[in-house]
Amino acid sequence: MTVAEAEVSHDGIHDPHADLGDAGNYLKATKGWKTWAFTLDHKRIGMMYLASVIVAFLVGGIMALLVRTELAHAGETIMEADMYNQVFTLHGAIMVFLFIIPSIPAALGNFFLPIMLGTKDVAFPRLNLGSFYIYVFGTAFTVIAIVAGHVDTGWTFYTPYSARADNSVIWMTMGVFILGFSSILTGVNFIATVHKMRAPGIHWRRLPLFIWGIYATAVIQVLATPVLAITLLLLTMEKTLSMGIFDPALGGDPVLFQHFFWFYSHPAVYIMILPGMAVVNELIATFSQRKIFGYMFVAMSSVALALLGFLVWGHHMFTSGMSEYSTMVFSALTFLVAIPSGVKVFNWVATLYEGSISFASPMKYALGFLVLFTIGGLTGVFLGILSIDIHLHDTYFVVAHFHYVMVGGTVFGFVGGLHYWWPKMTGKMYSERVANIAFWLVFVGFNVTFFSQFILGSRGMPRRYYDYLDQFQPLHMASSGGAYIIGIGFTIMGVMFVRSWFNGEKAPPNPWASAGYEWMTTSPPHPHNFAIDPVMKRGPYDYHLCTEEELWDGFPEDFVPSDR
Amino acid sequence: MNPEGTLQLPPQMSTIAPDVDWMYYFVYWVSVAFFVAIVGAMLYFMWRYRRRPGQKAKPTGHSTALEIAWTFLPVILLVYLFHEGFSGYVKGIIPPDDAIDIRVRAMQWNWEFEHRNGVIDEMNMMRVPVNTPVRLIMSSSDVLHSFFVPSLRVKRDVVPGMYSTLWFEATTLTKPMCQSDADCNETRVGGGFESCIENRCVSNCDSDLDCARTSGVALGVDWGAAYAMNSYSCSSHQEGERGECVLPVFCTEYCGAPVGIDRSAERNSNHATMMADLHVVTMEEYEKFIEEGPPPPPECAGEADCAAWGEALYNSSGCIACHAVDGVRQQPAPNWKGLLGSNRAFVEGEDREADLNYITQSIREPQSQIVEGYNNVNMPPYRLSDRQIQAIVAYMRSLDEE
Repeated sequence: MTVAEAEVSHDGIHDPHADLGDAGNYLKATKGWKTWAFTLDHKRIGMMYLASVIVAFLVGGIMALLVRTELAHAGETIMEADMYNQVFTLHGAIMVFLFIIPSIPAALGNFFLPIMLGTKDVAFPRLNLGSFYIYVFGTAFTVIAIVAGHVDTGWTFYTPYSARADNSVIWMTMGVFILGFSSILTGVNFIATVHKMRAPGIHWRRLPLFIWGIYATAVIQVLATPVLAITLLLLTMEKTLSMGIFDPALGGDPVLFQHFFWFYSHPAVYIMILPGMAVVNELIATFSQRKIFGYMFVAMSSVALALLGFLVWGHHMFTSGMSEYSTMVFSALTFLVAIPSGVKVFNWVATLYEGSISFASPMKYALGFLVLFTIGGLTGVFLGILSIDIHLHDTYFVVAHFHYVMVGGTVFGFVGGLHYWWPKMTGKMYSERVANIAFWLVFVGFNVTFFSQFILGSRGMPRRYYDYLDQFQPLHMASSGGAYIIGIGFTIMGVMFVRSWFNGEKAPPNPWASAGYEWMTTSPPHPHNFAIDPVMKRGPYDYHLCTEEELWDGFPEDFVPSDR
Repeated sequence: MNPEGTLQLPPQMSTIAPDVDWMYYFVYWVSVAFFVAIVGAMLYFMWRYRRRPGQKAKPTGHSTALEIAWTFLPVILLVYLFHEGFSGYVKGIIPPDDAIDIRVRAMQWNWEFEHRNGVIDEMNMMRVPVNTPVRLIMSSSDVLHSFFVPSLRVKRDVVPGMYSTLWFEATTLTKPMCQSDADCNETRVGGGFESCIENRCVSNCDSDLDCARTSGVALGVDWGAAYAMNSYSCSSHQEGERGECVLPVFCTEYCGAPVGIDRSAERNSNHATMMADLHVVTMEEYEKFIEEGPPPPPECAGEADCAAWGEALYNSSGCIACHAVDGVRQQPAPNWKGLLGSNRAFVEGEDREADLNYITQSIREPQSQIVEGYNNVNMPPYRLSDRQIQAIVAYMRSLDEE
C-alpha cells in the first residue's frame, strides 16, 4: 500500500477539521435521561458501565482501607472480629464481581471494541443494554445482602461455613449468580461482533491486540461462568431445601464445592488479567510508535492462557485433601501457564527496542504493569512448586501475589487505559502533571503495601486474620501505611478526571499520535463511530504506513518532538 | 539447619524444613535473575530509545528463532522446578513407618490433641517429642480448618467428614537444654531472666515480641529489636500473666467469628486466634506426660482442688468464649457464677441439681441434657480428665465465694 492510498482511506473516514456540531458527538447528539437509560449506543452503555465500576471500586477501596486500618495494630483497632470478617468479605466480593470482572471488558471493551473494528455497534445492541441492566439488578441483590444482612464467608463462599452461615449469603450468591449472566451475555455479544462485524480490511492478522485479548476473555466468560452459576444455585438449594450437596452434616462433600468454585474462578483469574494485558498492548505500541513485537505470538498467547486457564483450578487446593495424583497433575499443568505469560512480557520488552518511547501518563501505567506483573508472575512460580506451596498456601504471600497480578496487572491496565482513552471518550484532556503525581503515589504506595505482605506471608502470617502475633507488627504497620498512600493517589486521580470532565481542554482526534483505528474518528466519536463507513488499508500498528498528518495533526505541543 | 530463620523464612525446626528452604531460595534467586534481566532491559530501552529529536521508531521486524527460544527454553527450567517441588512434596506427605500417631480434633475455635492410650492434652496445648516422626490424624467437627506450623513447614486442611493426615519430625526443643541457671543466662545479652528447670531454660514473656527477642537470644543469636520476627509466641495472652515461649499452631482455613459477642481480643475466640501452643519436648518428658496426663500448673503442684488450675483451664480450653463468670450475663451459655448447686430445668421437662456429676456430664456430653433456653447452643463435647474437671468445679466454687 502506498502513502497515497493511506491518505485516501484516511480522508474517507473523517476530516478532523470538519465540525459537525453536537450531531457529531455521541454525548450530545440526543438529550434527556431517557436517551441514556434506553440507549442502544455501545458507547453510552460503556460509559454507564464505567460509572458503575468506578463506584464499585470506590466502595471496595474504602473496605480495603478499613481492613488495613484494623490491621495497623495487633488487637482491636477500629472494629470487632465479626465486623472485620464482613468487611474483608465485601472487599473481596465487590472488587472481584462488581469491579474487576466488568471493568475492562464491559466498560472500556464496550466502548472501544466496535470502534476498533470499524463498525457502528456490537452485534446485538439490545442484548448489550440488557446485560447492563442485569448487572444493575445483580448489584442490587448484592447491596441488599450488604445492607440488610451479615455476609462473612469470604468471597469464595467455602462450604460448610457458607452452608451454615446467615441466610443473607443467599442474597449475595444470587447477586453473583445474576451478575454472571451479565458477563455471559457480554461475552456472547463480543464473540459475535468480532467474528461478523469487522470493517473491510480488518482481517484476523490486523485485529488490534486489545480485541484479541477481549475476544479470548469473552470465550472464557461464556464457557466458565455457567459453572459458577450452577455451583451457587446448588449452594442456595442446599441452604433453602437442606439438600446434602456440600455440607457433610447433610451427607455432602465440602471439597466438591472447592472443585466447582475454582473450575470457574481460576478461569475467572484470566477473565481479570487478559483484558489488562490487552490494554497494555495498545499502550506500549502507541507510546513506542511501533508494532508489538511477535504480534501473532502475543495474540495466540492470550488464547493459550484462556485454554490453559481451564486446566489448573486444582492449584488452589494443594492442601485441601485432594489426592496426591491430582496434586501432581495440577502442579505440572500450572507451570505451563508461565509460558504464555512469559512470552507476552518478553515481547513487550522487545517492542521497546528501537522505538520512540514517550513517557506520557498512560505509558507510565503500562511500564508499571510490566514491573508489577513480572513480580506477580514470578511469585506465582513459588506457589506452583508443591513443596513450597504447602508452606505458603493461605498466607499473606498468596494475598500479595494475587494483588500484584490483579491490582498491579489488571487495575494498572484499566487505569492506564482510562488515561489513554479518556480524551477519546470525553473529548477532554486532563492535567498530565497531576496524572504523574497520582501515578507515583499509586505505584510507590502499592509496592509498600504488598511487598511487605510477601515477607509477612513467607514468615508464616496466615490470611483472613483479624488479629496477629506481635512479631508481625512492623510489617503490618508498613502495609497499612502503603494502603493510605494508594488511597491518596487514587483520590487525586479522581479529582483530576472530574475536573477534566467539566473544565478540561478540548481533546484533538489523536492526542497520542497513535496509528490505532479508534483514533481515526473524532473525539468524542460520532454517534455511529465514523461519519463514513471506514475501509482499513493498513494495520492498527503500521506506523511506517501512516502519514505525518495522520499521526501528528492536533497533537499537544508538549509531546511533539522539536524537529517535527 | 538454621534455627534462627532468615529475613524471608521462619526458623527451621523440622527435618523437611532445610529442603523446602533450599528450594525456596533457589526459586528466589532464579526469580531475581529473571526480574533483573526483564526490568533491566526495559529500563535500558526506556533510556536509550526515549523520544527526543531525531529518535524515530524503526518498523518492527520479526525473529522466529527468538520467539521459539523464549517460548521453549523456560520449559526446561520449569520441568526441573516441577520435579524438585513434587519430590519434596512426596517426602513431606509419606510418614516413616515408625511415626507415632496423634489424633487432632479441630472445632470452632479450638484444637484438641489425643495421644497414645487416650491421653488428651489440655485444650490448645500440643506436646510432641523431639527427633521423633509424628503423624497427625486430623478431623473437624464443624467447618474447614487447616493445621499450620510455619517453623515446621507443614500445612494440611482439616475437613469435616473425612480424615486428613500430615507428619513431621521436630528437630529443636522449644527450650534449649541446660545444666544450671548460669548456662541459660550466659547466652543472654544484658541480664538473666531465665532459669534452668529440669534441664531446660525457662524464660518468661509479656508479649510475642519478648519471645522473639528472648528465644533468639537463647539460641545464641543476637537480633536487633526491629528484626525480632522469630516465630515464637507467648503462650499466655491473658493480660497481666506471664507465659512461656512456644511455637504457635495456626488455623489457615477461614472459620469465622462469633456473632454479636465481643471477644475479639481473646485467645481461641475466632479464626485469627484459633491457635495452639506447640511444645517440642524430650522423649522422657513426653513419656512422663503420657503416664500422668496433662500436669497442673506449678502453683497447683500437689493440691487436689486447685481453683487456679480451673481458671487456667477456663481460659485455655475455650469455655471463656461462651460462658461468663460475672454472675450476670447468661448468653450464649449459662454463667458460671451461681451455677453450682442451682436447679437446672431441662427442655425435656426434667430437672436436676448442678452437682459434680452434672458438671462432669455437661462437659463430656453437653448435648445429653439441654437446659431450657439453650436449645440452639451447640457446645462440643470436651474430654477433660477427672482431675481437670475437679479443678474447674473448684474454680466455680471460688467464684461463688467471692
